[in-house]
Amino acid sequence: MSYKLNIPAFVAAALLAASGTAAFADVPESPDPIKVIMNDWTGQHVSTKIAGALLEKMGYNIEYVSAGALPQHPGLAQGNLHFQAEVWSNNVGDLYPKMVESGEIVVLGDLGLEPKEGWIYPPYMEERCPGLPDYQALYDCAQAFATAETFPNGRLITYPADWGTRSRDVVDGIDLPFKTIAGGSEGAMIAELTSAMATEAPIISMMWQPHWIFAAHDFNWVEWTPIEGDCVEETQEKDNACGFAQATVNKVAWSGFEDKWPAAFKMLSMMTLSNDDQNAGILEVDNNGRDIHEVAAEWLANNEGRWQPWIEAAMQ
Amino acid sequence: MKLGSIERSFFHWLAVIVVTLGCIAAKDHWGWLIEYPDALIFPFSDWLNVMMDWMVKHFGWFFMGISWVLEWPIWVVQKILSGLPWAVTMFLFCVVAFVATGWRLAAFTLGATLYMVVIGYWEESMNSLSLVAISVPLAIFVGFSVGVWGFYSDRAERAIMPALDLFQTVPAFAYLLPILLLFGFGTVVGLIASVLYSFPPMVRNTMIGLRSVAPEVIESGLMSGATPGQLFWQVRVPSCRKQILLGVNQATMASLSMVIIASIIGGTSDIGWEVLSTIRKAQFGESLLVGMVIALMAMVIDRVTCGLAQRSNLYDPSEKTVLQRYRMWAVAIIGATLLFGLAQVFNVLADWPRDNVWSPGRSMNEGLTYLIVNYRPQIEALKTSAFFFVMLPLKIGLQGAVSPFTWGFALTATHKVVYALAMAAIALWCGMRGKTIAGIVVMLFAVFLYFGLTSIPWPCVILIYTFIGWKIGGRALGLGTALGLGFMVVTGNWAEAMLSVYLCGIAAIISFVFGTTIGIWAAHNDKVSAFVRPINDTMQTMPLFVILIPFVMVFKIGEFTGLLAIIAYAFVPAIRYAEHGLRNLPETVIEAGNMMGATRWQLLWQVKIPLALPVMMLGLNQTIMYAIAMLVIAALVGTNGLEQIVYIGLSDGNFGIGIVAGLCMAIIAIIADRMTQGWSKKRQAELGLEVQ
Repeated sequence: MSYKLNIPAFVAAALLAASGTAAFADVPESPDPIKVIMNDWTGQHVSTKIAGALLEKMGYNIEYVSAGALPQHPGLAQGNLHFQAEVWSNNVGDLYPKMVESGEIVVLGDLGLEPKEGWIYPPYMEERCPGLPDYQALYDCAQAFATAETFPNGRLITYPADWGTRSRDVVDGIDLPFKTIAGGSEGAMIAELTSAMATEAPIISMMWQPHWIFAAHDFNWVEWTPIEGDCVEETQEKDNACGFAQATVNKVAWSGFEDKWPAAFKMLSMMTLSNDDQNAGILEVDNNGRDIHEVAAEWLANNEGRWQPWIEAAMQ
Repeated sequence: MKLGSIERSFFHWLAVIVVTLGCIAAKDHWGWLIEYPDALIFPFSDWLNVMMDWMVKHFGWFFMGISWVLEWPIWVVQKILSGLPWAVTMFLFCVVAFVATGWRLAAFTLGATLYMVVIGYWEESMNSLSLVAISVPLAIFVGFSVGVWGFYSDRAERAIMPALDLFQTVPAFAYLLPILLLFGFGTVVGLIASVLYSFPPMVRNTMIGLRSVAPEVIESGLMSGATPGQLFWQVRVPSCRKQILLGVNQATMASLSMVIIASIIGGTSDIGWEVLSTIRKAQFGESLLVGMVIALMAMVIDRVTCGLAQRSNLYDPSEKTVLQRYRMWAVAIIGATLLFGLAQVFNVLADWPRDNVWSPGRSMNEGLTYLIVNYRPQIEALKTSAFFFVMLPLKIGLQGAVSPFTWGFALTATHKVVYALAMAAIALWCGMRGKTIAGIVVMLFAVFLYFGLTSIPWPCVILIYTFIGWKIGGRALGLGTALGLGFMVVTGNWAEAMLSVYLCGIAAIISFVFGTTIGIWAAHNDKVSAFVRPINDTMQTMPLFVILIPFVMVFKIGEFTGLLAIIAYAFVPAIRYAEHGLRNLPETVIEAGNMMGATRWQLLWQVKIPLALPVMMLGLNQTIMYAIAMLVIAALVGTNGLEQIVYIGLSDGNFGIGIVAGLCMAIIAIIADRMTQGWSKKRQAELGLEVQ
C-alpha cells in the first residue's frame, strides 16, 4: 500500500467506483469505509476477503483491520469495527454473549461452514492401536500414546486452557485412561502435531476443521457412537459416548451497521460459504504461497452464479 | 558479627524448621493447611469487575476522548513513514546513525533496514516504528514530569516508587484488557500499554540524575542570581543530562518490547501482529525472520540513542562556519530529495516487488525438522531425565517422585532414614565449620526437597519467607513479605502461585549458574566476550514469543518447554553482571593476591568471586525479573501457574481475575527483588566495597 504520487490513480478509482454504482440508486449509502475484521488464521482470511470483495463490487469502501479474537468484541460493540465473517460459537469468552444479549453486537446468521471438532491422530497410529478410529480402542491402547510424564496413561493434547476444558470433561466423564495436557496456544498445538508427524511419534489431539493443517498432513478422526441430534457432552457414558457437540460459525456486525449501510447488511446476511470453498482457498494460500487477494478474486470469478443473486436481492 | 547474635539467629531458624515439620505432620488432620478453604476466599476480583463496569459506564466518554485525540498523531506518523519510499527513509536513518556515532553504525543501520525491505516486511516495520515514535515522547514527558515531582516532594516519592515497581512487574497481559475496555479498540491500546510500561525507567533516571547534581553547582547557580525556573532548566537539568538520556534510551527499549506484546490486541498490521500470525501457524523460520526485524530495530535505536547521549556531553569550543554547522542537515535534505525523485522513476526504490522477496523461512523449518527427526532419542533422554530427577522432585518432593517407574526403585524406610541422616550430617558439618547459616539452608532445603514445594503447607512457606525477609531486610521487608504472600492466599491464588514460583525458581537457578559460568569465562577471555555479546543483544531484543516455537517443536507442550524458554531469556543478565563484576574489581586487590602467590584458581575462587559476589547477586536479581517476565509468555506453551490465569483472564474478558493474578506475579517479583538487593547491599557493606 502506498500513496506515493498515486493520488491521481486513487481519484480515478474513486470516480470509477462512483460511476459504477450510479446504476444502483444510492449505494453506497455512506462513503465511510466499512471496517472488516481480519483475525490471525487463514480460513477466516478467505471468508473475509470474499465478503470484502463482494462489498467492493457493490461500491463500498472497505478497510481491513487486524484484531485479536477477544479484543474484536469490544471493538464491534463500540463501533470501531463493523463486520466479522466468522465467530465460532465454541470459543467466544465471556464478553461476546453479554454483548449479543444487550444488542451491542448483531448476529447476521450462520455462515454455512460445517465445523467439526474432535480428536485426531496420524494414520500410522492405527497400526499401534488396532481398533481405531473407534473411541473404544483407546481404553486398551492408552500406553501407545503414553509419554514419561503421563505413563501409564495416554497423553491427550487439548485446547489451550483459556478455551475451556471440554476434552478433559469428556475424558473424566467416560473414564478414559488418558491424561489431558492443555495446548497453551494454537501455535504450540500445531508445532507439536507437525513435529510428531515428522518423527512418527505417537500423538492424539483435540482439533477443529476447517483448518489448514488438514491440507498439509493426513489425520484421522476418532469416531464416536452415532446419535440423533446434538451431542450432550456432560452426560456421556462409557459404552455410549457421542464425543463433542458441534459448533456453528456466525457472521456478526456492529449494531449500527444496518442503519448506516442497509444494502451491505442485506447482502452479508445472505452470503454463505461451504467447507470446500474455504479449504480450497486455504490450500492455495498456505501451501502454494498465493496472495489472498488473488485467491478471493478467483473465487468471485468462478462462482458468479452464487453471489449475483445476493447482490441483486440486496440492491432492491 | 558477635557470637551471641549468631546463636540467637540459629535458634530462630531452628524454631522455624520445627514449626514447619510440625505443620507437615499436622497437614493430614487439618486440610486447610494445604488448601485454603474456598469459603474464606476474598471476592477481590469480583469487586474489581464491578468497579470496572462502573468506570466504563460513567467515565467511558472521558477515556474515549483521550483515545480519539491520540489516534491522530499515530495516523499522521504512520502515513508519513509508510508513504515515503523506503530508500528515502533508509537514507535518513543512516544519516542519523552517522551523526550519532559514525560510519560503522551507519553501515549497520543500512544493513538492518535493507533486511526489512528484502524479507518483505518494510511496511509492517514502519507501522511498529510509528507506534514507538509516538509512545516514546509521551513516556518521556510523563516520566520526566513524575520524576521531577518525586524529586521535589518526599511524600510523592513514597507513593511513586511502589507504583513504578507495579507497572514494571505486573504482566502486560493483565492490563491490556482494562485498557481495551476503557480506551476502546484500536492502535491506542498498544500505545497506552507501551507508555505505561516504558515511563518508569524515565522516572527513575530523572530522579537519580537530579539528585546527583553536586551542591557546588547549585550554589554557583544561586550565586549568579538564577530564578527557581532558571536554576532548574539551566543548571540542574543540563548537569544531569547524561542520566536523563539514559532514561530515554531505556524507555525506548521498553516501548519497543511492549509494542510487540500489545499487538495481540490488533488494530495495526505491524511486526508484532506478523510475529503472532507466524507463531500461530508454528512457522519457526518465518517467525524468527520477522522477529529479527524487531531485534535489529532495537539494536539500531539503542546504539543511536546511546551515541547521542554520549555525544551531548562533548563541548566543542571551536568556531564553525554556518556550512560546517549544518552540513549534515544539508546532506540529509539533498540526499532525501534526490532519492525521492529517483523513486518516482524506479519504482523498486519505493515498493519492493513481491517477487523479489527473499525468505529462507522454509529451509529453516526443514533444518529444524531434520534435527528433530535425527536426534529424537537424545532429546527424549534429556527431557525425561530432567523431568524425573530435577523438576518432579522439586514439585512434588522425593516422597512422590521416587518410584520404580521414574527412578527404578521404590522409596523404602531405609532410604528415608539414610536421606535424613545424610542431610543432618551435612548440616552438622557446616555447623561445626562455623557456617551456621549454610547448615540451616541445607536443612531447609532437605525438607523442601523431600516434601516438594507444592505440598508444603502455606503457613510454613509464608513463615519461612517472612523470616528470610526479616533477616535480610529488617522488619519492613519481613512484614511486606508476609502481607504479600497473605494476599495470594486470601485471593485463592496460592496453589498457582507455588507452581509459578517452582517453575521460575528452577529456571532462575539454572540460568544463574549457567550464565555466571559463561560470564566468568568471558571476563577472562576477550574472544569469548566478543562472541557472547551479539548473542546476548539478540536474545534480549528478540520478541519473547519467537523463542517459544522451536522449543515446542523439539520438546513438546508442557512445563519443560516453558522452563527452557524461560532459561533462554533469563541467562543473559547473569552473564552480563558476572562479567561486569569481575572486570571492575579494584586492581590493588588482585595484585595483592598475586603477590601472595595465589594460583589462577585460588585467585578466582578466593579473591575475585567473593568480591564480585554482590554484583553477581544483582545479576541474580535481574535473572529473576527476566524469568518472571518470560513466565507470562511461557503460558502459551501450556504451563499451569499464575501466568495461565492471567492469560485466561485476558481471553475470557474477565478483568478482575487477570489483574489479581497479575498482582500476585508482581508481588513475587517485588519480594524476590527486595531480598536479592537487600542481601547484595548488606554484603557489599560488609566487604567495605562502594555500594552500587
